[in-house]
Amino acid sequence: MNKNIKKTIVFLLIFFALLYCTTKILWLPKNSVAYFYDEPKNSLDVIYIGSSNAYAHFNTTLAYNLYGYTTALLSTDSQPFVLTKYLIKESEKYQHPSLYVIDLAKASDLLDSYTGEELRNTIDAMEFSKNRIDAINEALSYKKDISKNEYVNYYFSFLMYHNRYKSIYGNLIKYNTLYKGYLFVKDTTIIQPQDEYIWNKNMTELEEENNIILYSLIDYIKDKNINVLFIVPKRYYETKENEKINQIIKILQENKLTVINFNTLEDFNNIIDFNTDFYNARHLNVYGATKYTLYFAKYLKENYQLQDHREDEKYSSWSTEYERFKKDFNKLTNKNFDELLLEYKKTKI
Amino acid sequence: MELTSFVFLMFCLLTILIYFIIPKKFQWFILLISSIVFLFWNNFNISTVIQALIVLIPTYILGIQIEKYSNTKKGKLFLIIGIVIILGQLAYLKYTNLFLTTAKHLLNLINIEYKFTPVYRDSLIGISYYSLIMISYLVDIYRGVCKSQKNIFKCALFMSYFPILSSGPFIRYNDINEDLYGKHEFDYTRMCNGLVRVLWGIFKVLVISERLSIFVNAVYGNLGSFNGIFIVAAAIFFTLQLYTNFSGSIDIIMGISEVIGIKLPENFSLPFFSKTITEFWRNWHITLGAWLRDYIFYPLQKSNIIQRLNKKCKEKFGKKIGKKIPLYLTMLIMWILIGVWHGGAYTYIIGSGLLQFLFIFLEDILEPLAKKINSKLHIDMNSIGYKIYQIIRTFLLFSFAMIFFRATSVSNAINIIRSIFNFDIPLFTNISLIELDIFDFIILIASLIVLFIIQLIARKGSVREKLSRKNIVFRWIILYALIFAIIIFGCYGPNYNPVAFIYKQF
Repeated sequence: MNKNIKKTIVFLLIFFALLYCTTKILWLPKNSVAYFYDEPKNSLDVIYIGSSNAYAHFNTTLAYNLYGYTTALLSTDSQPFVLTKYLIKESEKYQHPSLYVIDLAKASDLLDSYTGEELRNTIDAMEFSKNRIDAINEALSYKKDISKNEYVNYYFSFLMYHNRYKSIYGNLIKYNTLYKGYLFVKDTTIIQPQDEYIWNKNMTELEEENNIILYSLIDYIKDKNINVLFIVPKRYYETKENEKINQIIKILQENKLTVINFNTLEDFNNIIDFNTDFYNARHLNVYGATKYTLYFAKYLKENYQLQDHREDEKYSSWSTEYERFKKDFNKLTNKNFDELLLEYKKTKI
Repeated sequence: MELTSFVFLMFCLLTILIYFIIPKKFQWFILLISSIVFLFWNNFNISTVIQALIVLIPTYILGIQIEKYSNTKKGKLFLIIGIVIILGQLAYLKYTNLFLTTAKHLLNLINIEYKFTPVYRDSLIGISYYSLIMISYLVDIYRGVCKSQKNIFKCALFMSYFPILSSGPFIRYNDINEDLYGKHEFDYTRMCNGLVRVLWGIFKVLVISERLSIFVNAVYGNLGSFNGIFIVAAAIFFTLQLYTNFSGSIDIIMGISEVIGIKLPENFSLPFFSKTITEFWRNWHITLGAWLRDYIFYPLQKSNIIQRLNKKCKEKFGKKIGKKIPLYLTMLIMWILIGVWHGGAYTYIIGSGLLQFLFIFLEDILEPLAKKINSKLHIDMNSIGYKIYQIIRTFLLFSFAMIFFRATSVSNAINIIRSIFNFDIPLFTNISLIELDIFDFIILIASLIVLFIIQLIARKGSVREKLSRKNIVFRWIILYALIFAIIIFGCYGPNYNPVAFIYKQF
């Protein structure tokens, strides 16, 4: 090979290696999607995909401590539903979980209502691949008045984040990767009036965009024969959101897919306290999340074949994170988490 | 297509790839296709196509005719027709508002009320460049300096060679035709040298100029909110912004052309080391100065009117002073034209025209007095200290003139100058209006130091040549540092609103 060609190849290889390292250090969003790549291959039993309701409601370390199965939360703030299919594809490259849990809270939204940050939170955390490019192309195709330049900005995340050196110290704190992705919020909002949380059974036709995204996901799941459980988290919904989600549930059930709507589950709703368990109208706090995890983790264990890894040394990081969570909970709330668990268990959660 | 945009760089990469892949006899044709795409990228409509043809077709036909009738009255007539067509269109598209504003002021002087609505006409990118380039082409044929181009497509390429359309430099047919239409082999060393220059240009624009513009825009946009020291700083920063933006874009253009194998004339030669404004303009926008010298200044000096004036002035004021008056008059005309070329507004005429003339005029007439004073005070004019004083003085004078260049109107420029003396506001009040944090300032100072060091090295010869003599490890470390400085510290991407290339508007 010509000497100059060799030199050019070496130069470019070093350049891309340096760019990769710089991206990792400076620009990768420190969220649970990014953290997902750090988990050892084929070590996850459940992958839970969704928006903030996923990481604020399901305490993965508690589920592990109780039943020994591992759960990754592929969830970011207001994560657009269109990305679900691509996150499953991404997961399949590294993991073969027994179950995917898909949160439907954002399934009725339209892409054009997002500012772009919601897309970037997830997309920028995904490693560079064809799947990532496909995700960008489909997501942006639903946004109106988008320029070619904006596509480029999404393809190459350093265009957006190159000046993050300014917050390098703060940025390196993996705030959302503590406790295996669970976000611990202790503050409480007393929910008033509570009748706004009564689930409305009416249905509204979906927009064309919602239909395309939903049917594409259903086709993918069926085609790949993937085990999926859809859930609708307990929270406040606008009337239109609620009615569109009912339509989505109907379509999923017609396609023989399982959906759990936590807003209509009587035994679950009986244990949720509107005075103590909400962080805000759309999110549970740590108390509500603990109740939800106790209920849902048990359901998953009873209904799916999930392995117990608690005796396996390779999974010790899950116990470590649970201990860290408990310690932080006790410190920040002046309460004892073990006692709280006992108290909740007495109420037969 | 901004010169530092991803789209432009990909466009160049694609052009260069095809250029070296296809048979050599078609290479110039690829440049023509790319130039047409670039010319009409954002502005393709019937009006802009006609604009381009209005310059191309008459220039092509008249060029051949002028050659045929060179040194005859007919040849001169064809030349005048060509110049009138090209300048007529340029004036119509770019200077209508200047004419209307002037008419308004003149009519107001004789108490006639005249109001007009500013006219905004859609013009092609680089019109101010290609218009003057085509005039020089016709004049050079008339003077017998070059032959006319018989192929209209090749003529179109000379007019629209895409790298120079946004910021120059001015090219001459005789200097470039062999490179432009010639056959070029791919050359690895030339490619490396060209890319280094492109990177250095991008560094100047994205790391320095864009960052300076954040400071300048914040201060000039909130004049009443800042202490005078900040206004002075903004004036100095604007000069540096203008230089790094303009010379950076020239570096990108020269680097791309170098990769292709086309040698363009240099447009800057370390202007901030100049000791006088005269010397400064020999090193700043060199090709514009040379164009005006060769096609305006010398012909005017040799014109019958100036010759007659010269004779009369010598008779009336003596030989020494008499010969200076026509010279100053010619210079005044030339500087006004420089100002007009920069834009159809009085701010440009004052900032880059009249004030520059005034400084040069004062330098010339005060030189004997300055020498006398220095001699009496025993100041060594050859000392380093005195040279540094001259360099700083020249820089500050130019920065002062650039207040007009940057201002939105003459009254705005006067407001800026008044604000320099506003010391009532405590020094660091409203500093939050400047969207630069401590990191930006550190980067700015560090990159200006790098620029200064590179310029110091460049005084003693080509920096790229010096770099190429170093071992590969050192060379690559420097290159990676430059690339990653751009990637990490550059002001680009969705978080920044880039300032357009300042010279692109001309």
